[in-house]
Amino acid sequence: MGHRIHRRSMLKGSAWLAGASAVLSGANGARAEANGEPIPVGQAAPLTDFAAADGVEFRNGLIMACDEINALGGILGRPLEPHFVDTRQMGDATNVQAVQRLIDRYGVHAVINGYNTGSGSAVQDAIADAGIIYLHNDTSSGHGVLIGSDPDRYFGSFQTDPSETWYGSGLLKFLSSLTDGGAFTPANRRLAIILSAGTYSSNIANVVREGAATLGWEVSLYETVNVPISEWGPTLSKLRQDPPGVIVVTHYFPADLAQFMVQFMTNPTPSLIYMQYGPSVKSFRDIAGPAAAGVVFSTVIGALQDEIGLDFETRYKARFGEDAGHNSGVQSYNAAWIWATAAALAGGSGGPGEDAQNRKVADRIRAMIHRGPNGTTRFIAGEQAAASYPGGTDDPSLGMPHQFLQIQDHTAEPVLIAPWPYAKADFVTPPWIAD
Amino acid sequence: MTAMRRDLLLCGLFACAALFWPMISDMRYSVTQTTFFFIWATVVVQWNLVFGIGGIFSLAQVAIFAIGAYVTAMLGYYLGTSMLLAMPAGAVAAVAASLVLGIACLRLYGPYVALLTICVSQVLYVLIVNDTDCFTNPPSGCMPLMGGVRGFSRFGDLGFRDWLGAGFYIGNYYVGLLLLTAAILFSIAIIHSPMGLAFRALRDNPVYAAARGVDRFRYQLWIFGLSAFFTGLSGAFYAVNTGVVGPVVFSFQHLLFLLSMIVIGGIGTVWGPVIGAAVLMLADEAMRELGDFRDIGMGLLLVACVVLMPRGLTGLFQDMARRFAKPADTEGAT
Repeated sequence: MGHRIHRRSMLKGSAWLAGASAVLSGANGARAEANGEPIPVGQAAPLTDFAAADGVEFRNGLIMACDEINALGGILGRPLEPHFVDTRQMGDATNVQAVQRLIDRYGVHAVINGYNTGSGSAVQDAIADAGIIYLHNDTSSGHGVLIGSDPDRYFGSFQTDPSETWYGSGLLKFLSSLTDGGAFTPANRRLAIILSAGTYSSNIANVVREGAATLGWEVSLYETVNVPISEWGPTLSKLRQDPPGVIVVTHYFPADLAQFMVQFMTNPTPSLIYMQYGPSVKSFRDIAGPAAAGVVFSTVIGALQDEIGLDFETRYKARFGEDAGHNSGVQSYNAAWIWATAAALAGGSGGPGEDAQNRKVADRIRAMIHRGPNGTTRFIAGEQAAASYPGGTDDPSLGMPHQFLQIQDHTAEPVLIAPWPYAKADFVTPPWIAD
Repeated sequence: MTAMRRDLLLCGLFACAALFWPMISDMRYSVTQTTFFFIWATVVVQWNLVFGIGGIFSLAQVAIFAIGAYVTAMLGYYLGTSMLLAMPAGAVAAVAASLVLGIACLRLYGPYVALLTICVSQVLYVLIVNDTDCFTNPPSGCMPLMGGVRGFSRFGDLGFRDWLGAGFYIGNYYVGLLLLTAAILFSIAIIHSPMGLAFRALRDNPVYAAARGVDRFRYQLWIFGLSAFFTGLSGAFYAVNTGVVGPVVFSFQHLLFLLSMIVIGGIGTVWGPVIGAAVLMLADEAMRELGDFRDIGMGLLLVACVVLMPRGLTGLFQDMARRFAKPADTEGAT
């Protein structure tokens, strides 16, 4: 890891001091130097293949968190030692083997992931068998259902972001706020929904489809595409034949979405374009270029554009380069801080088979309200998934903000346009509609 | 000693040595990886019967493996069937699917068999990942009939978790060892039987074999059906061992990995696929930390083996044994 962060520089002048670092520093007490036996911590991430743009940032986020935590004395004097396994094209079968390797080979005390597509319950079962802690950002409603089915067995599994269904309900509320407030007048009340094969994308699309009518929208197109996809011609033909007021794309691979925008802009329809998650990754703007301007997207987890979020962004980019994707890196970064703080407060972490100690860590995590660069992480009782704001709670201090952003200048970071009180700019009518 | 007796003796020695591995290995990882070795070795030992002994360039083995895995998982998931019943049912379903493929391939030769069988595998993959219609709608979200991209999990196990607790993986290890031992014994029996001779005759000179009364239709069906049983059973055991089945089992990358085991070990030999499976798994393990270079490294290894050892590692061993044996023979002659 070469890059060394010193305790003094860590504590000095950082907005982060207001949050977890102060708690961890206090729990570590006199153990200012992390010179004890290292604690192995693992991550299974798509470091190669189509989701590598995100996977590399998940790794960076964990490395940065480990360095910062170690600078504060690690966990009660024991430094963190990260290990990584590539999940390539992901899927439950691949993910579980990667996590099992982290457990069996490195004896990790915790697995701290970003997302892995196609995750079901297999990883949680491997974690339960080992009795360790698992924090992930799979954004899956299935996680909460699984935990609810056997809370004792799955005591150590936490989803550090809200479930995907909030994307759907959140979007419908957002559209209502835009139209009711007069910020946007759609050409018509028709919605086109484009999804990719898979539970995640279809869960979001189904929520939009089921809730559309009650808010006065008619679903005019519901199209499933096979991904990864770079040729959007057939889908765009259908859209151009019957232009909808809003196009909702629930697929999320940045490169695929960027190609959609490039091909859409050759002959645009007067439709507002909403995408989920993908445009938050910088490679979307890199590939789409000027065609990215005007796109509205949302993410249930991303760095806020406030004091703590911007401080994180600055430090992240200083460490990994100007092109680094801090919005992806924040996922594992935030989760690592939650786990390390809880472990320090619980008197240390436990390795595979040390269930008793890890149950204490899990108790601390459940009781924690953590303020990180992406807002508040508070776990819903019985589900062990992060609460969403404003969908799941109307109190911004108790839920992770479901952020709506718009790319208003493709050469700059997207601007946060909702929700209150985090928004930094107003919605702007996309150039292909305004013109 | 006859070749069959030698192979049986080697099989016995291998099984006896493997019995002690979980007791002397202090690392759970090495035991669980050895279980995967048993699974992959079982698949390639059976594939070798079709490809190496029968000379049929079939790439269906991965699809047959996946069918065994999927049928087992679906029986457990939808019907709550015990894995002790679902596993043989998966194997029987794999045999049925393989027989259908065998009939379909009857009029085809060489690369055309490869094209048809790979097509079947890829069509199954596309059908599964593109199915977004909800067959059931559990609280965790829409579940397509074949599990879609996510696949199946939580469909049951062999009961070792209840019996052995945290050491359940050792139970799975011995099931894997039993499976591979049975598959090798079966392979030895086939290769050294009159049926094996008929397979080889059809491979080496189909016209002459037909003239001697060897019925290609019958023997091709036999070889597809017989090899599918253990392949399907290994797929079923893979499902139980990993606790999850997803479309990744149909992937082309997976197919190439297994095919490489046969090529590196030695096509058409009893022990070549087993040796190839061990070598490739060790090489893959050694290169895991290399990111994209892992694929390049595996590719280079395969190219090096094909160029330097066209008959695989067993061919190399045979050449070396012959070279050492030659001076003694010469000495004896003079």
